[in-house]
Amino acid sequence: MTALIDIHTHPVQIAELYPDDGNLERAVKDVFGLSMEPQPIETYFAQLDEAGIDKAVLLPIDCTSAHGCRVVSNQQVAWLMERSSRLIGFASVDPNDSAAAETLGRDVREYGLKGLKLDPSLQRFDLGDRDKAFPVYAACVELGIPLLVHCGLSWAPRGLAGLANPLGLEEAIQEFPALRLILAHFGWPWVGEALMLALKHENVYLDTSILYSGQPTESLRHVLADVVGLDVLDQGLRGRVLFGSNYPRVDPKRVAHALRQLGLEPKLERRIFHDNAATLLNLEETQ
Amino acid sequence: MTAILTRFGIQTSHDTELIDITERAREIVRGSGVEKGLTTIMTLHTTTAITINEGLPDLEADILEFLQALAPSDGSYRHARFLHSDGQMAVNAPSHLRSAMLGMQVSLPIEDGELVLGQRQTIYFVELDGPLYREAIVHVLGG
Repeated sequence: MTALIDIHTHPVQIAELYPDDGNLERAVKDVFGLSMEPQPIETYFAQLDEAGIDKAVLLPIDCTSAHGCRVVSNQQVAWLMERSSRLIGFASVDPNDSAAAETLGRDVREYGLKGLKLDPSLQRFDLGDRDKAFPVYAACVELGIPLLVHCGLSWAPRGLAGLANPLGLEEAIQEFPALRLILAHFGWPWVGEALMLALKHENVYLDTSILYSGQPTESLRHVLADVVGLDVLDQGLRGRVLFGSNYPRVDPKRVAHALRQLGLEPKLERRIFHDNAATLLNLEETQ
Repeated sequence: MTAILTRFGIQTSHDTELIDITERAREIVRGSGVEKGLTTIMTLHTTTAITINEGLPDLEADILEFLQALAPSDGSYRHARFLHSDGQMAVNAPSHLRSAMLGMQVSLPIEDGELVLGQRQTIYFVELDGPLYREAIVHVLGG
């Protein structure tokens, strides 16, 4: 069985992070909007195991200027990475901070972080802002790291989805052709816009964390089979769709199960579950 | 009369599993010092259950398959939406329904300081939406 790589997890429910960070509870409950009790890190690993996930990307969100907090910091991600080689840390920086690009370079080098996560809806910045956002995109290119951008519906109570329309990235995609860009959530509800960008630009990737209503079997089938078309995935996007769960908004086992239920051609399924992310993250030779 | 409530944690490992807690319950009852009375073993969650059955691996597998058939994972459920109070997708209706069929607690008598159980009876904590860190209680009443 293919060992999965989950490109989209938020380490906001890991109990071990809370005792040393008095601000994290407020950040997770009031800003990110998750009210579940924290669980031991052992539970997180068991949940990955149950879903068949070998490696998971940890995504922090630096909301310092918008909300006065970090929904997990780069340093905490680094601490988690030290707990297990299964965990791949991304950085987050605040584009409203003029030192964001410099901070990104420092933290990537110091902590061994493998990518950048931005959430314009929570961080409150314009994806097309040449003064604030573009220097961060340029830093990603310079550092050789991919950028995962939250796109579409934001379940966070303080999130503004209007800032997360994938079309807001079009100029950046043109200006930074070497920037490997992951549009999270397939951009839902702007699936057509996200799909168009990915079909046109070979540096644009899409992740499967599509959650709006119904069981993941229903939401993934609707978007990937009915709206996009499984043939389109196989033809134009076979190297650029990535398995992402959006843990803990939903249990990874359910998203993995939903993808398996689509009846994808086995090679394509393997690419989505593992090979595409392994290549993107320079993890190993694809099997 | 003595009333002692003991809480204990269980790290489960799978989506659905039966975990034998018989010895744990026996030890708690022995430790209570109660000679005659009643004990209640209860889960604190709505996607887990407590049940008693014969402790055989084939039966355990049959019980889990039976539950899965009664409340299929890919069925159509109303409880399949974003739950604003949690900030999570509430897409675990089958887990709740399976729990509803088994129940959340069992009550057993205590005699001569020991839990009264039939020779073939095993007490199970049943995980129905794991893996998660779970809690259960043993409440001992008596003297």
